[in-house]
Amino acid sequence: MATAQKYSYNVEAKGLESNDKPRRFLQAFAAILQHGNYAVAMDTFARLSAKCGRCAASCQLYEATGAPEDIPCHRSELLLKIYRRYFTQSGLLKARLWGGFRLTDAYIDEMAEAYYRCTACRRCKVNCPVGIDHGLVTHLARWTLAEIDVIPRALLVSVREQLEGDTKNTSAIPVPALKDTCEFLEEELQDIYNVTIKYPFDVEGAEYVFFPAVSDYLMEADTLMGNAAVMHVTDASWTIGTGNYDGINYGLFYSDRMMERIVNNVIAEVRRLKGQKILIGECGHATRSAWYVPAFGGPDAPPVVNCLEYAHEMLEAGKIPLKPELIPERVTYHDPCNIARSGRIVEQPREILKAICADYVEMSPNRTDNYCCGGGGGTVSIDEIREFRTGPLGKRKAEQIRDTGAQIVISPCANCKKQLRELCQDNDLEDVEVLGLHDLLLRVIDFGVPAPVGANAQGQSEAWDWRG
Amino acid sequence: MDVWLQWAKGPLFWTALIFMLVGLLRHLGLTLWETARAYRRAGDKNVPTGQVLRSTARWIFPFDGLRNRWFYSFTTFVFHVGVILVPLFLAGHIKLWQTALGISWPAFPNALATTLTIIVVAASIMLVLQRALAKDSRILSRFQDYALPLFIAVPFLSGFLVMHPAWNPFARDPVLLVHVLSADLLLFLVPLTKLSHMTLLPFTQLVSQLAWHFPHDAGRRVGVTLGKESEPI
Repeated sequence: MATAQKYSYNVEAKGLESNDKPRRFLQAFAAILQHGNYAVAMDTFARLSAKCGRCAASCQLYEATGAPEDIPCHRSELLLKIYRRYFTQSGLLKARLWGGFRLTDAYIDEMAEAYYRCTACRRCKVNCPVGIDHGLVTHLARWTLAEIDVIPRALLVSVREQLEGDTKNTSAIPVPALKDTCEFLEEELQDIYNVTIKYPFDVEGAEYVFFPAVSDYLMEADTLMGNAAVMHVTDASWTIGTGNYDGINYGLFYSDRMMERIVNNVIAEVRRLKGQKILIGECGHATRSAWYVPAFGGPDAPPVVNCLEYAHEMLEAGKIPLKPELIPERVTYHDPCNIARSGRIVEQPREILKAICADYVEMSPNRTDNYCCGGGGGTVSIDEIREFRTGPLGKRKAEQIRDTGAQIVISPCANCKKQLRELCQDNDLEDVEVLGLHDLLLRVIDFGVPAPVGANAQGQSEAWDWRG
Repeated sequence: MDVWLQWAKGPLFWTALIFMLVGLLRHLGLTLWETARAYRRAGDKNVPTGQVLRSTARWIFPFDGLRNRWFYSFTTFVFHVGVILVPLFLAGHIKLWQTALGISWPAFPNALATTLTIIVVAASIMLVLQRALAKDSRILSRFQDYALPLFIAVPFLSGFLVMHPAWNPFARDPVLLVHVLSADLLLFLVPLTKLSHMTLLPFTQLVSQLAWHFPHDAGRRVGVTLGKESEPI
């Protein structure tokens, strides 16, 4: 598929054509305002925007670049201006009386660039006196742009494979490869920890149906072994559905239309298996999009449990036996924005880490006021902007990590982990290890059997690639 | 002059006041209506009300929010205190209400009103200066962002001069006319500008939250409206 570098990210050919984009953008915007719940927010934001600049002081990107277009309020104004001009009475009247602003192709290009420089981390929202949710504006602008085919190709092809491809998942892992991977993980658990743990497939009526970021099956063996170990020691009834085993939802990053379909597919798989609950793996946006299960699936939709909540609850209940030795390295925790910003999962991972680490330190700021890893909003999947992500966008996070002096950074999010690893590579932090929370938990679970002699007690499974 | 004063204090004031109230009520009504509609359409009706109330209170009483750019925030805060309290609790204003409508309420001591007035005038100038001097807010600013604080200072400054003839280099009546006219114009501007946050601010956190509460098939319906429901991705 032809791509070109019109924007700093690749888009497919039809996104580059000048085919009446302004009119199509306005049509899409009108349809979204009509059917979605964004209109009242846009109306309020358009009236109240105070232009105080406080958001500038909370944006890590603006801190790094100092460029006007990176001020959250400036970025939101791009869409608010269109809203005022085309969707309010006074805007229509003003345009009739003395012309003024008109939506053009160039303006759309400016938005296409601006709204993908923002990771929609929503840190600025917390600091806006009039309550403008700039992350919401980015979310809405991206959806509208997507309807005129301006979508980073990396996100688009993943969603295409997930919704229309043969494998029905973003990493294009076929079921046989999935099963091979899980067999390999079972062997690893046997070899390293001397414990027999099975990855259950298609168990009807299981309490938990597991949806990790499917990329974990390619890249995060230790996280998945940790997940399975926790389910094993707590005697949980769980399963992986071979009809759908991907918690990833790039729809959250660019289109509610896609997000809705992806969430509905998750619900459908749980119903197919007559499962009771959706168990989400270590993935920020899978966690957040699963919180929309009641929105799309209604009140009868299966309840959603995050693996962090599950592990925390089980640890509190004393159902996860731990070895007496604590993790000796200095460990810090990066709050994934999609998990922590709303305050829903903030203390649980910390309590787990404090229980298993000898030297746990916080980065500052943290919790709901954390800085984004720099790869949020799907930007981590866009390889062609790595320099931007690990440069200006991630600079603040790299400084935060450096200041803690930590040897291990924990982040229970596949996207954050990928970004943090690249960030550490590109910012002279090569000695810092970036892990998921279950990776670390796995190292200290007491399976009640001695580890085999010579086993790598640090966990750290060899990388496994089903394609090799 | 007296005719003009009577006109500004009488018909013009009442027109401006009613315009402001009707305008704000319209904002309030529309916002409440749309908010209720958004709630009705939300697929997930479980709105985190505690969180919404906490964040709303955090910005209506912004003590916690003062940390970020504290001097600018502090100036904004004292500016608001004066702008809200002085017009409502100045003894002279209450007397006017009593004459016109027979209603009254306890007044501020004049010394306090004077102090707050000086603070408002000083703060409005400081706000404009800080806006102009800080790069980030300067880049964002529109004409109204500079004009409104300065314009708000006009009725306060002229009111101060009327109350303190010793400081007033001009004749009393023209200054009083400036005071009343500028206040009237300000009332007209409230519903038309960002000053409408005086009624909408309590709802901003709620409407932001509700926007994330998607109607259960909004995506599908957008697809149908745009004729894309069967289009491949």
